[in-house]
Amino acid sequence: MIENVKQNYLTHPKGIMSWLLTLDHKRIGLMYLVSGILFFFMGGLLALGMRLELAAPGNDFISSEQYNNIYTLHGAIMIFLFIIPAIPGALGNILLPLMVGAKDVAFPRLNLASFYIYSFGALFALYTIVNGGVDTGWTFYTPYSTQSSSNVVPMTLGIFIIGFSSILTGLNFIATVHKMRIPGLTWYKLPLFVWALYGTSLVQITATPVLAITMVLLMLERFLGIGIFDPALGGDPVLYQHFFWFYSHPAVYIMILPAFGIISEIIPVHSRKKIWGYKFIAYSTLSIAFIGFLVWGHHMFTSGQSVFSQIVFSFITYFVGIPTGVKIFSWILTMYKGQVSFTPPMIYALSFLFLFTIGGLTGIFLGAVALDIHLHDTYFVVAHFHYVMQGGTIVAFLGGLHHWWPKSFGTMYNQTIANICAFGVFLGFNGTFFPQFLLGLRGMPRRYATYSEQFVELHSYSTFWSGILGFSIFFAIVNLFWSFMKRNKVDPGSNPWGGMSLEWTHTSSPPHPHNFETDPVFEHGPYDYDKVIVEKTYKK
Amino acid sequence: MSDHHITPLRTYLVIASCLFFLSGVTVWVSYIDLGSFNIVLAMFVATVKASLVAFFFMHLLWDDKKNLVLFLMSLMFFGIFVVITMIDTEFRGALGFNPETKEPITKRAPFYAQLPLTDTHGYPVDSHDDIHHGDDDHH
Ligand code: HEM
Ligand SMILES: [Cu+2]
Repeated sequence: MIENVKQNYLTHPKGIMSWLLTLDHKRIGLMYLVSGILFFFMGGLLALGMRLELAAPGNDFISSEQYNNIYTLHGAIMIFLFIIPAIPGALGNILLPLMVGAKDVAFPRLNLASFYIYSFGALFALYTIVNGGVDTGWTFYTPYSTQSSSNVVPMTLGIFIIGFSSILTGLNFIATVHKMRIPGLTWYKLPLFVWALYGTSLVQITATPVLAITMVLLMLERFLGIGIFDPALGGDPVLYQHFFWFYSHPAVYIMILPAFGIISEIIPVHSRKKIWGYKFIAYSTLSIAFIGFLVWGHHMFTSGQSVFSQIVFSFITYFVGIPTGVKIFSWILTMYKGQVSFTPPMIYALSFLFLFTIGGLTGIFLGAVALDIHLHDTYFVVAHFHYVMQGGTIVAFLGGLHHWWPKSFGTMYNQTIANICAFGVFLGFNGTFFPQFLLGLRGMPRRYATYSEQFVELHSYSTFWSGILGFSIFFAIVNLFWSFMKRNKVDPGSNPWGGMSLEWTHTSSPPHPHNFETDPVFEHGPYDYDKVIVEKTYKK
Repeated sequence: MSDHHITPLRTYLVIASCLFFLSGVTVWVSYIDLGSFNIVLAMFVATVKASLVAFFFMHLLWDDKKNLVLFLMSLMFFGIFVVITMIDTEFRGALGFNPETKEPITKRAPFYAQLPLTDTHGYPVDSHDDIHHGDDDHH
């Protein structure tokens, strides 16, 4: 085991310029992390604003117009500025080169460029907020989005720009996985997080250009009056939805695949057991990525698309459940007869298993045309996608942060606080979103600033728990950064949890500026708990 | 990596003139009315041109074949998008495979016969031409 050395990437080149012009993937990852979390808090505050408005019917905490702006910004910020760019950008950047034994990603300059492109796009989003918001919903459906006088143009331009950052990051990761692995680290010996990032990257480079095209077409229609979506000009409004969802359904896999990867790392390490069904998990990632391209029409069951395509889309949607189920069962079987320890990352991983399963299954409900015609645009859909995106992706992200925090920053956070917050997230999340399934089933439409009397009980319940959820997430993250700010000098050692992949066994915490002091030699697979004994360097 | 292919200038010039020629073809066929086949032809010519650029100017022809796979994949994804979207646009308004929607059930419950005749109901539908079914206006 390598002793923790003084020289590390956080302190080594010093000075502000060494950060702004850094080519070090770990520093770039950290910058993504900080900006992502800032947007996460911004989106979170907007969400709490919505919940306050909805605590009782007829509240006039904010006006209906403001409400429209707030839900649009909440969705757009969370999806386009936080989840999609920040998770691969932060955890992916910090970990991918370490996991394949490389000194950096394949194209370090391009990597920095991606970050600046992301920041540049984010400026447009911030401008939108300052300039009075945008009120179309994060989906920017025509015809309203070509007519609305709110800031549709700056926001879509921002999204257009951020898309390029996604594409370049994807490209970079693919090249890294192909070209930068150390000898002996074959495809089937890669940590599953690497497979997940690889699948995510493939989706990013194939789907994101379509988002860019969509945004361009929207502006062509707005500014030049070219008829693409407007029937009066010979266009087709439903075509917009085809374009949008051809990107955005695959994009939900951009959001969930990295989360799957995180869970595939946390569970074996904290159960000290070989992962069950490695190849199944690896290939299910690729098949989810592919099937994800064939199901976009399930968002359009009530849009007036042809009955024939409804049937086709509904049918194909069910197939998504198969590779997803394969993963869930493999994770459960991994824990079976393992030495499970209830560390904070593991509690997040277990929460993920519950929450994502509920989210995925309700997705299958919505994939059935007959049912979706009733549930479309109700709170049932809102609950579904929060169960997968927050209960799935964000819970996994928090788990991943807690898992790799000691590695990335060389300090251990307070575990008790972390555990309490993890429970708070689980309870607060269910308390907030489970009632929304019931609301949706009873006909409460989404995107309304008020509602009729009979919904008040469930809505106020949801608002109450959203407060608990907000506090828990806030303190979980503060707890992490607190340890980073050197208030807490608990040295976790190079391998606190006893992990087996290269980032645990061959680097110090925090890693050396060039990752490895000597060229790493591949010794054992990332999950060979049945063959080799790896000690934990941190005991509570 | 090491053995870079060097393309003779002649090849570049031939390909460039092909591209100019094909641009001419695109303009020319746009004046002929082929119905919906116009767009197919225009896309076909454009794809050929893009492929020429990729294969010769961008050296795909001599490159690692993995890159060719990526190129073909992009065509495949484009194909998926267009074909599946056409499953919608080409069948829009058709009510599908349900036999009941093709031949709507027009019989009414027997008690209608006993009701007094009014404006809105009362005529036994079977003996009356069905005039108010809007469902099949797209057929
Ligand atoms: C088991 C897999 C899944 C299936 C079968 C599924 C199915 C569906 C269906 C049919 C809808 C449309 C509901 C409607 O608007 O009427 C929907 C909406 C949505 N799903 Fe999923 N889903 C799955 C997983 C996911 C995942 C993993 C994510 C993201 C991480 C996600 C995010 C969303 C979002 C954001 C929407 C709502 C979009 C909007 O209208 O604003 N879904 N899902
Ligand atoms: Cu979808």
